Amino acid sequence: MLNLPKGLNSKTVEAISHYKNEPDWMRRFRLKALGLFLKKSMPLWGADLSGINLDDIYYYISPTDKKFKSWDEVPKQIKDTYDKIGIPEAEKKFLAGVGAMYDSEVIYHNLKKQWEDKGVIFVSIDTALKIYPDIFKQYFSTVISPDDNKFASLNSAVWSGGSFVYIPKGVHVDIPLQAYFRINAVSMGQFERTLIIAEEGSYLTYIEGCSAPIYSKDSLHAAVVEIIVKKGARVRYTTIQNWSSNVYNLVTKRAIVEEEGICEWVDGNLGSKVTMKYPSVYLKGKGSKGEILSLAFASRNQIQDAGGKAVHLAPYTSSTITSKSVSVHGGRTSYRGFVKINHGAKGSKSLVRCSALILDSVSRSDTYPTNVIEEEDVTLGHEATVSKIGEQQIFYLMSRGLNETQASSMIVNGFIEPVIKQLPLEYAVELNKLIDLSMEGSLG
Amino acid sequence: MSQQLVPILWTGLEKNLSYDFTLSKRGSSISILGLLLGKGGKRLNITINVVHKAPDTKSEIILKGVLKGNSEVNFKGLVKINKGAKGTETWQAVHLLILSDQAKGTAIPSLEILENDVKAGHEITVGKISDMEMFYLQSRGLSKQQAKKLIVQGFLSEVYEKRQIYESKLS
Repeated sequence: MLNLPKGLNSKTVEAISHYKNEPDWMRRFRLKALGLFLKKSMPLWGADLSGINLDDIYYYISPTDKKFKSWDEVPKQIKDTYDKIGIPEAEKKFLAGVGAMYDSEVIYHNLKKQWEDKGVIFVSIDTALKIYPDIFKQYFSTVISPDDNKFASLNSAVWSGGSFVYIPKGVHVDIPLQAYFRINAVSMGQFERTLIIAEEGSYLTYIEGCSAPIYSKDSLHAAVVEIIVKKGARVRYTTIQNWSSNVYNLVTKRAIVEEEGICEWVDGNLGSKVTMKYPSVYLKGKGSKGEILSLAFASRNQIQDAGGKAVHLAPYTSSTITSKSVSVHGGRTSYRGFVKINHGAKGSKSLVRCSALILDSVSRSDTYPTNVIEEEDVTLGHEATVSKIGEQQIFYLMSRGLNETQASSMIVNGFIEPVIKQLPLEYAVELNKLIDLSMEGSLG
Repeated sequence: MSQQLVPILWTGLEKNLSYDFTLSKRGSSISILGLLLGKGGKRLNITINVVHKAPDTKSEIILKGVLKGNSEVNFKGLVKINKGAKGTETWQAVHLLILSDQAKGTAIPSLEILENDVKAGHEITVGKISDMEMFYLQSRGLSKQQAKKLIVQGFLSEVYEKRQIYESKLS
């Protein structure tokens, strides 16, 4: 068992690499990334990150230490939320980290056999480095370099846990792959790293996280997700993030899409103290497509700085970004978007739509869209609106017998429906319940 | 109550234009209407900041740009609605028509809203003249040049029509 003191230096990084028994190239990769991390300054834009004390963080904790020892240790607020959204007992304990999720393990093993027969690889990323070193080395860090931003450097230096998915040419994986099934085996790390490779003509839906709140003792979550979508392949990556309210969630997510490929990000952010996350598509091949659906819900003391990024590098590429955000009880949501159409990306199209709902006079909503066009033959549209809930809508629903809270939750749930519709059923149901819960006493 | 109209016309003389406005009287309004005509190697950085400090204030930014040659327009807008500025309405619209494959445009219309009883929004479009419109006008007997001219005039007309309405109201 490896137990490292708090704080970060080259010894920490060497120890992690040594403990994991990694090849020398990975050890050198980590050390180089550490150097970049120490050199880079904190981002000058976005949410206030001064509350992060980088010296007061454990950079490697073995999975068992992260969990609570018993159900009694789990904070009351978290237990209450589980009760109100109606999560089964076993699942509750698992989510709080005190129990194992035995049922899903069985299902998981059956599914795993089906996938393996088709040549699909779905393992933890640490396993992939050991068992499939060639594919791993070929693609690892090719989408997001350690030099990309300070928190990508940090992740590259101390990464641990996460998933590795490889879909061979022409294979369709019909059942969504869920990171959820395997969490207890690897444990959701604070510096997790995911790498997905979809070969030509393949198809995959991947789901990460879950809508029920996940309690974490770690105060910083800096993940990296890299996706490679080859010619004609299609990948959808769905995330529902509901970290507990002590977590800074700073994630870099990016996909490179080749000719005629499609990448879709569905990104829902409900939890954490501060989230900064902008899933990106780099449309590199002719006719490739990117779609980003972003949902942000900020309540008391929360900042959700979310959005999306689309870079058009080839002709006839198209991108769509749809963002829905809700702020309540003093929460703050920001949409931060970036669309760039490079010179030569003829016939490209991009459409960005953002809508924000502010539910009371103490909450805040911002929109920061950047649009850069270097080509004549393009179509770009962007629109955004910010508003409160209409009094007429509330009045109508109340005249039909709903009370004020029910009426406003119904309106909020309707507002975010375009995103909810894209989620698996059980997530959608839980999400609607969570929103009802946060709406209590919200109209003032 | 004060109503203010700020017309902007850029034909390549300035490199930087910067405007800061604060609406601190209840019910006051501002309308910023701009025509940006870029050609050759002309470049413009234009920044517009509006702060709504008082209730029932209104602001509107409408910019229309036509870019030829290797001209470039970079627009940065920030409209901030302070807490307490209830009943505020704001709208930013930026439309760029690109007529050459060497021209470039950047638009960052930001919003910071600290009050819920507001209406706020923005829109941006960037594109070239649509082939359908050109085809229609040419099928009616216009030459390519005439058709292009007519479309550009139509594109820009919203700004002057608005300006005429404002001026007649103010006088």
